[in-house]
Amino acid sequence: MNRVQKIALFFVVTISVAFLLSCIAIGILYVKVGMPKALAGLGFMGIAGLGGFSALIFQTEKGKVTLDERDRLINRRAALAGFGTSYLLVGLACMIPFFILGPKASISVSWLPYIFGGVGLNMFFVHSVAILIQYGRSDKGEKV
Amino acid sequence: MGNNNLSNQIRRLRFENDQMTQQELADKAGVTRQTIIAIESGKYAPSLPLAFKIAQTFGISIEDVFQYENEQS
Repeated sequence: MNRVQKIALFFVVTISVAFLLSCIAIGILYVKVGMPKALAGLGFMGIAGLGGFSALIFQTEKGKVTLDERDRLINRRAALAGFGTSYLLVGLACMIPFFILGPKASISVSWLPYIFGGVGLNMFFVHSVAILIQYGRSDKGEKV
Repeated sequence: MGNNNLSNQIRRLRFENDQMTQQELADKAGVTRQTIIAIESGKYAPSLPLAFKIAQTFGISIEDVFQYENEQS
């Protein structure tokens, strides 16, 4: 498993853990105190921020080729998948309320930061998963 | 990323060149060992500059390393 794969895996784990804990916290808080206070459970999404330290945790080995044309191609395709699904999510976030609530309804702007955060996390998550899928098992048993 | 029409002789050439390891070839071509593995197994079609680099490493022409089979022929 190379450095890019390790970073991608780290992102997938941190985002998954953050999402899971947030869902559990919101569920528990919803039963205990109800909405909108239950949204405080979203605080667990901060765990996803640990992914930002991945570049420091998995450092490059000096004097060794760690990134070549194949890695760049994989990363470019993964980025495309991440941005593509994010575009789809933004589209859904815009169109679903429109069709459910109707053209004359209005929604609170407080939803916008949630959409922004959610779409950003989705982008990182899909990007990382796409990297892991593309590398696949082709490097089975390899230590690079 | 791979190309079913593209085959290569890298594995054979490595062994004919003092049993060159994948890591040695990777270092000479300026890529990672994973990329050499992917090229050898046909899972990745290298760029033209990389294909030339690999051929130069073995000291032969690019046609002797990579072969393209046209489906129509």
